Amino acid sequence: MFNFVLKRLAIAIPTILILIVLSFMLMFAAPGGPFNSERPLPPQVLANLEARYGLDQPYWKQMSDYVVNVVTRFDFGPSFQYRDRTVTDVIMQGFPVTLTYGFWSFVVAVIVGVSLGVVAAIKHNTWLDYVAVGISVGAQVLPNFVMAPILVLVFTLWLGWLPGGGWQGGQWQYLILPVIALSTSYMASIARITRSSMLEVLNAGFIRTARAKGLPTWRIILGHALKPAMLPVLSYLGPAFVLMITGSVVIDVYFSTGGIGQFFVNSAFSRDYAVIMGITILVGVLTILFNLVVDVLYAWIDPKIRY
Amino acid sequence: MTLLQTKDLIVTFETADGPVNAVNGVNFSIDKGETLAIVGESGSGKSQTAFAIMGLLARNGRASGQALFDGQDLLAMPQKALNKIRANDVAMIFQDPMTSLNPYIRISDQMAEVLTLHKGISKRDAITQSVRMLDAVGIPDAKARISSFPHEFSGGMRQRIMIAMALLCEPRLLIADEPTTALDVTVQAQIMRVLADIRRDFGTAIILITHDLGIVADACDRTLVLYGGQIMEDGPTDDVFARPSHPYTAGLLRAVPRLDRDDDELLTIAGEPPDMSRLPAGCPFSPRCAAVMPHCPTVKPRLESFDGTRRRACHLPIDEVA
Repeated sequence: MFNFVLKRLAIAIPTILILIVLSFMLMFAAPGGPFNSERPLPPQVLANLEARYGLDQPYWKQMSDYVVNVVTRFDFGPSFQYRDRTVTDVIMQGFPVTLTYGFWSFVVAVIVGVSLGVVAAIKHNTWLDYVAVGISVGAQVLPNFVMAPILVLVFTLWLGWLPGGGWQGGQWQYLILPVIALSTSYMASIARITRSSMLEVLNAGFIRTARAKGLPTWRIILGHALKPAMLPVLSYLGPAFVLMITGSVVIDVYFSTGGIGQFFVNSAFSRDYAVIMGITILVGVLTILFNLVVDVLYAWIDPKIRY
Repeated sequence: MTLLQTKDLIVTFETADGPVNAVNGVNFSIDKGETLAIVGESGSGKSQTAFAIMGLLARNGRASGQALFDGQDLLAMPQKALNKIRANDVAMIFQDPMTSLNPYIRISDQMAEVLTLHKGISKRDAITQSVRMLDAVGIPDAKARISSFPHEFSGGMRQRIMIAMALLCEPRLLIADEPTTALDVTVQAQIMRVLADIRRDFGTAIILITHDLGIVADACDRTLVLYGGQIMEDGPTDDVFARPSHPYTAGLLRAVPRLDRDDDELLTIAGEPPDMSRLPAGCPFSPRCAAVMPHCPTVKPRLESFDGTRRRACHLPIDEVA
């Protein structure tokens, strides 16, 4: 197991390098640049700016400088858009916000989704099953850009219970609406995967054995069925967790939370290469990391898996 | 003394084509310490009879009639009361040992939970007793191996573990549903020996469900032959084997390959196993019976007693022809 983790981490290094190089190339292939604006800058000013950020260097030199800086000094360079800040500053400002509401969204999605799925499977083809399936289909077809305005309309404008936006250091009132909006569709997917895999597990021979032992239903579900039923859910949760903690443009824009989702889109519009690269690498590293976590959890659940 | 008695046991499955009866009014009983074989082809209803008694029918299945264990009707009692009897008084082992143990849980936990549940003893004591039981069914080095997972054992070993697990509470009745079907022939013999030892050492009554007449002859006091969810005949195993009364039983016995005769081909019973949704109103075996008479498909033969200890349901029993 230890060797497996080491090996996977070793493979992660070239993967991340390839990720950096590819996103760098794609960024360069896109037309326009950070200092193109509707009113063109005087050529001399533009030349000075490009020299300051190293954009006058040849393509391969820019790329290798970037890679060396990232790898040796963990330095993602200055932001082009926010002139006095580095990429690290931007990420350090936005990521804690996204991490906070993303993490809580994940917790809510898993708890509600798994419970709904399990109940639907146990009560297969009864009204409880139909209600659970109905809720999850409904949640699935309501994307967060629809959910967010509806939530604001109801809870802020009509009922006046919760603030319609802002962050205030992540106080709970400001967390609730973003968490609901972000978690809903993930919750629906988790519920559907849980339901179908639980239905399959409940038909297994070892569940019949558990019933023949005289175990009460709740002990059969928790003790015998839940672990194997979670395997397909787990492989969905790895990438989903990364997507959630790296935020959502919609959430950041609607609720003015100030997470990195907003920075990511703004920098794409303004060709802020440095910030785009920084966030891309962050998402890439997190994805690799949590896929590894999922694999380790798999081995923990299923004793037949030995790395 | 009667341990278990079924009265008009009927098992119905709701299917897309309407209700289908898998078991059609079966009456039998088993005494304390007795071994009863229930034999029949696939689809004869033998496994569903067992599942119905244990309350383990599939979701779309329903049992009616009675299954009296110690005078209590297992089919009518609430889930909670049935759970007290399962594994404690009536235990069951299944056809496929590869799927009937939970692959995600250590053997020690799977066995111990039976004892902590029914006997209320500590987990430590439960594991000690489980090791002793594994020793009894012939698992080598049981003390070390009890903390393994199921996939670390062979099929035969897993069936031994299932048997050990079923016996933990020393049940008075063990239902073995084709316990050797999924195993190698050499392993089959070992498992049958384990079952015979259990009967000797614990005095457990056993219902052995099988289609393998070879293992019935040695192991069972009485044999009950099922076809189309109905009893064709039953009686002491030696009598049924030596002088079968029902043409179906005779056909089954003829179909057992014999080494002491120089047969060129394997004998079979002509025709297909019955389609349970389209059984004739009369004798279910009539479409395949060589001695069929005009009224066989329409008039159901009564299950009648004869020879004092035997029963049969046939309009033209073999011994009366001869």
